[in-house]
Amino acid sequence: MSGTADEGGDADLPATDPEFLRMRARTYDLLSACLDGDAGALVEAAENGYFVQLSAVFPVDIDPELLAEYDEEALEVGYDNLFAVPGPHYVPPFASAHAADAPRSDDATANYESDSAYHAGDDGELLGEPAAEFAELYDAVDFEPTRGDGIPDHVAAAFEFLGALAQAEADRRKAGNIEEAEALADLQRRTLDRLGWLDEFHERVREADSAEGAFARIVGVARTFAAWDARSGIGAAEAESPDDQRDATSNPDNSPNPDP
Amino acid sequence: MSSTDDPDIDTESADADASFTRRDFVKIAGGVGAVAAGSTASVNLDTTDLWTDKEQHYVGTDFGDYGAEDVIHTTCGQCNTFCPIKVRLADESGTGRYSSLVRKLAGNPYSFLNTQPFSQVPYDSDPQQVATGDLEGTGDVAGDRWSLSGARMCLKGQAGIQTAFDAYRVRKPMKRVGPRGSGEWKTISWEQAIAEIVEGNEELGHPGLRELWGYAPKEKVMSDWEAVQNGEMDKEKFDRKWEDALIDTDHPDLGPKANQIVDVGGFRRNFIRARLWKQGLGSLNSVHHAGTCGISSVMGNVRSFGGKKKRQYADIENCEYLLVWGTNPLVANKGPTWLAPKLTNAMEDGMRMDVVDPRLSKTAEKAQQWVPVEPGADAALAMGMARWIIERDRHDVDYLRNPSKSAASADDEPTWSDATHLVRVDAEAQPKARSSDLGLVTGDADAADEFVVVDAETGEPVPAGDADAAVLDVDLTVGGERVRSAWSLYRERVFEHTVSEYADMAGVAPETIAEVADEFTSHGKRAAIMSYRGPAKHANGFQNQRAIATLQHLVGNYDWKGGQMTPYAGFATMSGRYELGEVPDGHSPWGVPLLRGGVNYEETSLFERDDGYPAERPWFPVAPPYAAQEIYGSAKDEYPYSVEALFLRPYSNNHVMAVAGGDKIPEVLKDTEKIPLFVASDTVVGDTSKYADYILPEPTYLERWENFGTYPNKRLADEKISQPSVKVVPDARPFEEVLIDIWKEMDLPGVGEDAIPDADGNLWSLDSSEDFYLKLVANIAYDREPVADASDSELDTFRKAHEKGLGKHFDLKEWKSAVEPEEWRKVVTVLNRGGRFEEPIENYDEAFAEHGHDYDYAERYGDRSNAYDGDHLRYKLGARADFYSEVVPKGKHSYTGERFDPLPKVEDVRHYDGSVQAEVVSDEDPERPLRLVNWKPRTQGATRTQNSPWLRETRPENPLWMNPEDADERGIENGDRIEIDAGRRTVEAVAMVTSGIRPGVVGAMWGWGREGDGAVAETIDGKTREAVERDGHTPYEFDEPMREEAAYAKGRDAGFAINHVQPLDSELGDVGLSDPVGGSNAQYDAFVDVTKRGEGE
Repeated sequence: MSGTADEGGDADLPATDPEFLRMRARTYDLLSACLDGDAGALVEAAENGYFVQLSAVFPVDIDPELLAEYDEEALEVGYDNLFAVPGPHYVPPFASAHAADAPRSDDATANYESDSAYHAGDDGELLGEPAAEFAELYDAVDFEPTRGDGIPDHVAAAFEFLGALAQAEADRRKAGNIEEAEALADLQRRTLDRLGWLDEFHERVREADSAEGAFARIVGVARTFAAWDARSGIGAAEAESPDDQRDATSNPDNSPNPDP
Repeated sequence: MSSTDDPDIDTESADADASFTRRDFVKIAGGVGAVAAGSTASVNLDTTDLWTDKEQHYVGTDFGDYGAEDVIHTTCGQCNTFCPIKVRLADESGTGRYSSLVRKLAGNPYSFLNTQPFSQVPYDSDPQQVATGDLEGTGDVAGDRWSLSGARMCLKGQAGIQTAFDAYRVRKPMKRVGPRGSGEWKTISWEQAIAEIVEGNEELGHPGLRELWGYAPKEKVMSDWEAVQNGEMDKEKFDRKWEDALIDTDHPDLGPKANQIVDVGGFRRNFIRARLWKQGLGSLNSVHHAGTCGISSVMGNVRSFGGKKKRQYADIENCEYLLVWGTNPLVANKGPTWLAPKLTNAMEDGMRMDVVDPRLSKTAEKAQQWVPVEPGADAALAMGMARWIIERDRHDVDYLRNPSKSAASADDEPTWSDATHLVRVDAEAQPKARSSDLGLVTGDADAADEFVVVDAETGEPVPAGDADAAVLDVDLTVGGERVRSAWSLYRERVFEHTVSEYADMAGVAPETIAEVADEFTSHGKRAAIMSYRGPAKHANGFQNQRAIATLQHLVGNYDWKGGQMTPYAGFATMSGRYELGEVPDGHSPWGVPLLRGGVNYEETSLFERDDGYPAERPWFPVAPPYAAQEIYGSAKDEYPYSVEALFLRPYSNNHVMAVAGGDKIPEVLKDTEKIPLFVASDTVVGDTSKYADYILPEPTYLERWENFGTYPNKRLADEKISQPSVKVVPDARPFEEVLIDIWKEMDLPGVGEDAIPDADGNLWSLDSSEDFYLKLVANIAYDREPVADASDSELDTFRKAHEKGLGKHFDLKEWKSAVEPEEWRKVVTVLNRGGRFEEPIENYDEAFAEHGHDYDYAERYGDRSNAYDGDHLRYKLGARADFYSEVVPKGKHSYTGERFDPLPKVEDVRHYDGSVQAEVVSDEDPERPLRLVNWKPRTQGATRTQNSPWLRETRPENPLWMNPEDADERGIENGDRIEIDAGRRTVEAVAMVTSGIRPGVVGAMWGWGREGDGAVAETIDGKTREAVERDGHTPYEFDEPMREEAAYAKGRDAGFAINHVQPLDSELGDVGLSDPVGGSNAQYDAFVDVTKRGEGE
């Protein structure tokens, strides 16, 4: 495992490294802002080449040209058409619409009758079960999303939450408060567990955003970053278990040189 | 991507992952500036409540598959809710001492009672699919957080394993060594036990039943007695003729000697009471627990309606305003698994709930308004509300003016009231007028017995059935006789006090009365009251409940969707295929019941013998003979006659614990002169059974048959069946089987060959429990539309499950022979499902396949609903609501000879001799400053669950709740050790200081402070078994009240017995107070003082 304090060596950083956590926080925050329709943030990050660099290492099909220059106004309109105003290009940016058992109009067998007052057409329920699940996660730490239009399972809200948790974890790690940091890490893993719908979301955005393509790419980055994080980022921290809280014999990766 | 352990996520990036490190990421991300409006840095997360355990406690992944052959559906007996449950049999039988161990207990998914707020699985569902959770629509835990493969069960129910497998079970028939209550026993064989009970035993010096029993038919005896009175028969001849059969030939009206053989037991009433005791033995005296429970509430309701209505429940799903009065349905009163989810969901949907209770109960915690009434002053609160309502014309005048069923029907009302009916106020006992009484019709006319009203159209008195609407306020003279309407009498009674005066008596603000009355009358028919023991367990309890019941008459909410419900809906049990209540050549019991219910003292020959009033002990002329608290004092005083043999099944009748003043009972039980033969059939050496001559090993509810009823708080019909699921004590025998053997020895009718007639008149034998209960199951199976036949695979499942659970104690051939061969498959269908449960709609299985468990079928399927009939409930009371009871004044108080009051009345709490224990209308000061109340614990079913260490861990003892005002005055802090001085006794307890109890009132849970069931040492065959010590899994100290996070279970003797600090009746001196009208034992009328003990530690 990589739970070593050797900053200068070739070994990878531990997944509990406060700097790594801070960078994760910043990335989630940026993606959250972009997916909340903050065109300014998107343009700034694009101009700094951040997406190009990320897409170089993540398998996202991004043409660097396209990410270099954007018109903020066009992006705002594009965002509204895609994610805010139901219409021909609308792809709901929240989990409830993409839940595995959400009924679709082409499902002739579903004689669906919604319990929800917010039932939105054929695309499953607004504020369905996933929304409740996200709300429950937020509630665990008294978190109220500022992004995502009041929809708890909105991708922007979920990423904002991940960013906040990562930042808080970084702070706790720095302060040596391992117990709370672990709990926060665990909450991030549970949140990531609920983002499986991003795959389908990305596919649908890619279809709907074929002309401009900016949001298809952002969503692509978001999807692959979260997947990487779940596996090699915060997800790895669980297996690596940097402190002595776990029974050493139960951890196959137990290092002879655990964290200081 | 999806979950962290899903290898399929984002396969495209798999290669990239391998090469892209966290270090790479930090390098790239380092170039990203923080988002200008970024939120993450500034978010302040509250991590104080975040789960920080070392291991995750989420959805488990370690499970064992099982099928229907591992499951038996039966009924829980841990409390009197009697939930349908599923017994999951263990795969290993442990040491082999038991037929099977139990892996887990859960709710029965076939029953709507345990699947709230969802719907049950369709009745015809294959048990295999239900057990495995594979049935379409049942949901799964991971995705839906709920699966119908297991249904709801409370913690008390789950602890049932510890009831069945208690190491302190009685394992063999035991006979006492030394005096009663000495705690020494020897084991004997069943044959010896039965022989000694029947023939007597010199060693203990007790007589046998054969010698004690005697019977003669009433008609023959009383016709001879009449001849003696007329001088046509010589008294000596009468004495000689009947001395072997009668209790007392000078008082033949007391009945046969059989009456001196007394049964005390709660369950299996149909079998043991109706069949064996009454018709087999010819004894009136088979008593259950009612007097120690809510009989005054039941009678307060019974006397308020012309149809069968014993309890107050609401159609919660559609109720807009629910007033919960002196009951705690989130915890008790058939509530925990059934009413609790219904209530919380209804509140979520906008129902307002207010709770009247001196204590902030679990239900009151969730109320919009908590009304901490003065204990026992409930009638004042109810009458205050009535006055507020009537003064503002908030009552439903149209409803009240309907004089009869036909008028009500025309008005779309399922019920009507007696408000307009006329009462003969100057006649003896003030009965209601009948048409022939007032000369409206001749005595032989059809309408002769009809009530009389004043027709609203003509102003003339007419038979009630002849008027479409009648006049409410009537006071006139008809044919020289003064008559008044029930309404005018009720109204006058209500107006005896002002709202302020009532508020003062009830200890609440007049504004509170106004607010509750206003709310209650602001929802049309969708407002209801749920009430039970709180108002009723006082010596004035009957009147309290009467006053509460009549509030609902004012709005006429009966049988309306969202209103008051009364669905006694079940399936036939005692008749149909088999007439289980019929005993060929059976005896007819007669005489005066030991507990003197249903008889006026002055109508018996004892009145003359004892020089009239007052009677030696109380009589209960307008209640059934269920005042169980009177058994022991009656035996001691031999009043109205002596008890020669007492048979006790203490499972729900542990009177030493349950009777107010139960600490006085052992004196009587120990006296072999007063009760020469005392036999107990018990699962443990209990607080009451420990004084017996013999204790016979009884199976627990998981090991025997039963047919528990469900209270009328459900929209649909059901019938539950308990069946033996495991055999823990090989020698335990259900008491009915022991009685069958005894009855056979004595040649009594109703057992053995030719005992049970079927519908065709054929006679069947009764030799075992199965002979009775399997026929009962057949009756259930064939009622209405008969259930489907069990398939071959279901039969196979049935056999395997029962062989697994009961081992060699299961004899399939014998079970099958208890019913006709063609009935067997239907019997198995019912047994495989633990009973019969009506579905919410017609063709439910189709709808369930479409919508699954999470759907409100009864509400959404209109005409197909089995619960509703338009805006009415389908199962109805459909009867008259009585403001005025003409039955009640037929009864006279046996101390004074005064008639009881036909109208609800605010009364003080009084002793038998009339002295005041607790004032309501008068101004007398109590003997000590603090009123002591009590309640059922949240984590205990009754004394019978105290043997579970799992449950005792949750609350190690019963602290005394005190308001900070009262505690501060006495220098008492939370957790202090205290002394409770109740005058005649002082006990030690721990204080719990909380604002959740009314100032001036203290209280505690009942069920603690035991002296049986492993709480004390017992010696059996020379080996002493010590009392249970503390037990538990956690290393923490005992908990402080209100900080019960984890704790040791203390011993089974922990805490104090609430009933042992109750006041004794000042006239009787051997038992607590009783309500002379309703028959309940008063349990909330003690006054105590409390002092800190030593340093309080």
